This record gives sequence, C-alpha cells and structure tokens, in this order.
Amino acid sequence: MSSRITDAFSQDHHRCDHRLAAAESAAKDSDWARMTGAAQDLVEAMERHFEQEESSLFPALSECFPASASPIEVMCSEHAQMRHLFEDLQESVRGQDRSAYLGILETLHFLVQQHNYKEESVLYPLADRALGARAGDFAERMADV
Amino acid sequence: MAAPLFALLAALILVLEGDQILATRWSPATLATIHLLALGFLTQIMCGALFQMLPVLAGSPVARALLVGRATQILLTLGTLFLCFGLYWGHQGLLVLGGLTLAVCVLLFGWAIGAALRRARGAQYTVMAMRFALIGLFVTLALGLFLIAGLLGAESVRFARSDFARWVDLHLAWGLLGWVGVLVMGVAYQVVPMFHVTPGYPRWLMRSAVPAVVAGLLIATLAMGLGMGVWAGFGLALTGVLVFALVTLDRQHRRERPRVDATLLYWWTAMTSAMLAALLWAWGGRAEPIGVLAFVGVGIALPSGMLFKIMPFLSWFHLQYRQLSGRRFDVRIPHMHAFIPERSALIQFGLYLVSLVLLLLAAIWPELAFSVWLVRLGGLATAGAIGFLWWLQLRCSAQYRSFSRRLA
Ligand SMILES: [Fe+2]
Ligand SMILES: [Fe+2]
Repeated sequence: MSSRITDAFSQDHHRCDHRLAAAESAAKDSDWARMTGAAQDLVEAMERHFEQEESSLFPALSECFPASASPIEVMCSEHAQMRHLFEDLQESVRGQDRSAYLGILETLHFLVQQHNYKEESVLYPLADRALGARAGDFAERMADV
Repeated sequence: MAAPLFALLAALILVLEGDQILATRWSPATLATIHLLALGFLTQIMCGALFQMLPVLAGSPVARALLVGRATQILLTLGTLFLCFGLYWGHQGLLVLGGLTLAVCVLLFGWAIGAALRRARGAQYTVMAMRFALIGLFVTLALGLFLIAGLLGAESVRFARSDFARWVDLHLAWGLLGWVGVLVMGVAYQVVPMFHVTPGYPRWLMRSAVPAVVAGLLIATLAMGLGMGVWAGFGLALTGVLVFALVTLDRQHRRERPRVDATLLYWWTAMTSAMLAALLWAWGGRAEPIGVLAFVGVGIALPSGMLFKIMPFLSWFHLQYRQLSGRRFDVRIPHMHAFIPERSALIQFGLYLVSLVLLLLAAIWPELAFSVWLVRLGGLATAGAIGFLWWLQLRCSAQYRSFSRRLA
C-alpha cells in the first residue's frame, strides 16, 4: 500500500510548523517588519495547504468513499477556526500588539497540531487507500506548490 | 481538580512534621506524604490523562468513560485518604480498608483502560508504553498489598523482617519506574515533539527504553523472589530512564519554537531531576534526596507543566467550537495566554523551584541544625506553588464559564 498522500501532506504540515516557529522567532526583538513578513508567510503557506485539501483532496476522497464525509466536515470546520485566528493574527500585527501576537500563535500552534494529528493518522491513510492509483497525482500537486 | 488538594495536604504535613520527615524515610509522616503525592496527586492526574488521551491518540474511547472515570476518582480519593491516615496513625483497620479500596479502584480502572488499549491502533510506541504502565500499576498495587499484609504480621507472608526494606524498594521501583516512568515516556513520545516542534524521538529509543525499564523491573523482581541481588535489574531499568531523559533534553535543545515557557522549564527540571535520581539510586545514595527528586522534581513538575498548556487550549477550543456552531461571531474569544498568562505561569514555576531546592538541601544535609526549618520552609513554598497553580486553574475555568455564558 502506498503512503504517498500521507507523506506529501505531512511534509507540508511540517513546512507550516517551521513557518509558525519562524513567526515566533521573529518576535524576539519586536522587529515589526520581520514579524509582519513572517506572519504573512505563515498564513500564505497554510492557506495553500487548505486549498489543496478543500478543493482537491477532500472532494475526491468523499466522492469515492462517502463515509469520510463527516470527518472531512470536522476538518473543514477546524480550517474555519484557523482562518479566524489568521484574522486575529493580522489584526495584532496591525495594532503592533506583541502579547496578542504571541498568544494567538500559541493558540494556532495547538489547534494545528491536534488537527494535523487527526489528518495524518486517519484521513490521509484513508485517502491513500481509497484513491489507489490516483494518490500519486495528489501527492505531486501538493509537493509542487 | 481535586488533585492539588492532596498535594496541599502533603505540603501541610511537611510544614507540621518537618523534623520527622527527612530524618528517615520510614517515619509515618514521610510514608503518608509520599502516598498523598504519588496516589492523590500523580496517579489521580495520570488516570484522568489516560481517559482523555485514549480517544484522541489511539481512536479508542473508554467504554462508559464518564461513569468509570467518576467511580475510579472516588475510589482513588477514598483509598488514598484511608491508606495515608492508616500509615500516619499506624491504624491497621484503615490500612486494610485503604488497600482494599485501592485494589478495587485499580481493577476497575485496569479493566476499562485495558479494554480500550486492546482496541487501540496507531501511535504504536505510546500505546505499548501505556499497556506496560498499566501492568506497572498492577504490580505496584500487588506489592503494596503484600507489604500491608507484612505490616499486619500475616503468617502467609513469609518474608524475613530483614528483607522488608528491600520489598519496599521493589514496590517503589515499580511505582516510580514501571507506572510513572513508563507512562511519562509514552506520553512524551507524542507531546514533546508536538509542544515545541522538536525532531521526533529516534526509533531505537522508542523501541528500547520502555522494554528496558520493564525487563529490568521483572529481572529485579525475579531476583528478589529467588533471594538474589537486585542491582542488575534496577541498573537496566535506571539506564532506560537515564537515556530517555538525555534524549528528551537533546530533542528540546533542538526545538524550533524559540520561546522558553513555564512548560519547557518544567520539562527541563523533571528530566534533570530524573537523571540525578537515577544516578543517585544506581550509586546507592541515600533514599531521601532520591525521593525528593522523584516525587517533587518529577512528580509535581510534569503535571504542572502540562496543565499550563492543556487547560487554556481546551478552554479556548470548546468556546471556539460553540461560537462556530452557534454562529456567535459578536463574542470575541480570548487567546490561550489570556486564560493563563505566561508571566503568572513563570512566577508559579519560580515558587515551585524554590520549594524543590529547599527540600533537596534539607534531604542532602539532614544533620544540619536548620534543616528542619528548610523542610518547613520547603513545605510552605510547595503549598504556595500548588496553591497558586490551583488558583490559576480556577481562574482559567472561571473565565471559561463567563465566556460560555456570553455565548449561550
Ligand atoms: Fe487540514
Ligand atoms: Fe492538512
């Protein structure tokens, strides 16, 4: 059995983790130019990831494996929660509120970790099995972006 | 939420009986304090954590979790109180009652968690560690009951009086290494990389550390039963702990999230304490400093450090979920640091560190004239740290409730 989807998407999770850590590092000497850029990088990377899931992987999965519809719904609602945090984060950057910036990143970090854990241990392996030969396409598209 | 009360009770005994406690590990006050911490605080939190973690981690919810969880908690609370007052007053009836209540508690808990662990999939090494930890808990209980029978002078328990201390050591080793140590390892494999974005634990460690501890304990137990020396078994088990602690510190050193928060400081304290305790134990050092390192340095530290992350996150998560499902975007949910401010967490850690240092100094030099006062002050600092921790928890849940009302 292949694990190409699991591997490629988990890899991208790690890329996003690195961005989040970088956004935290940027706050070290309250350099707001750096913090703004790092926050932007993080949000962009995560939006790209959501895009791959929401408009490519998840629809394909729920089509050939209808039972996955309800966990997918949970995942998408967590994406919505994260998007709320993106807005809060950008607001903290605009207002140069360092403690909010760090508190929001911490919250985002924990939300992302438990979300990714569920995807990596349940949904992606399911997708690898259900999508069979097509799994490689999704993995490649993820790796390309 | 009841767990801090037991730690407070233990701290109170430290303050009141400072002269008794560290002079000898065999004083009734010492035994009561240790069991208040080990059962009332640590085991209480560990059992709760298993109930909560199994569904998330291994996709295996505990059957009738609410009922079994509540029953376990009540039995554990009662059993701990009976046992500790039995030890404190030397009351035989209470000792028996405590032992039996704890036995029922562990059997019920083991049955529920064991069934869930059998169905568990994923997180292979963590699930393996949890299974072994459950076995560790059973053996610790069995040895404890055996010791109570010995204390009561049961004819059937035919171990020589001179061997009593060695059986106590075995009970202690299974409890500390087999139950607490093994569960901490299993949980660490998941949370250490996750909390601070560190590299994962190396496979060789996850494959060997827990089995080394359990094998070591089994060898020691077997040797004990055959009347042979236990050093080889304990040595193996302690090596497992030592290597695990070293690798954990190395992972955390290579973390990506840069900030040093109270949780990280607690982990560093706990891993350093575990290493020192293991080395002292292997060296044949005195039991009192080892006890302080194990029960205060690890046993109070790790749960405190974890609470600082878990409580704010769960509060935020539940509120956010309700906001989303109720579409109440007019209410603004505060981020995690608003539930437990980072600065308060750091102050709490500072207070805890003072208590650890004071107790450790007293345990190392009990013959000094003022070490009685070190114990008393240490007890006071412990009470302060635990009280502050408890207050932060209460504040966090009060805040949760107030936002929860606004979302209703
Ligand atoms: Fe996702
Ligand atoms: Fe994802």
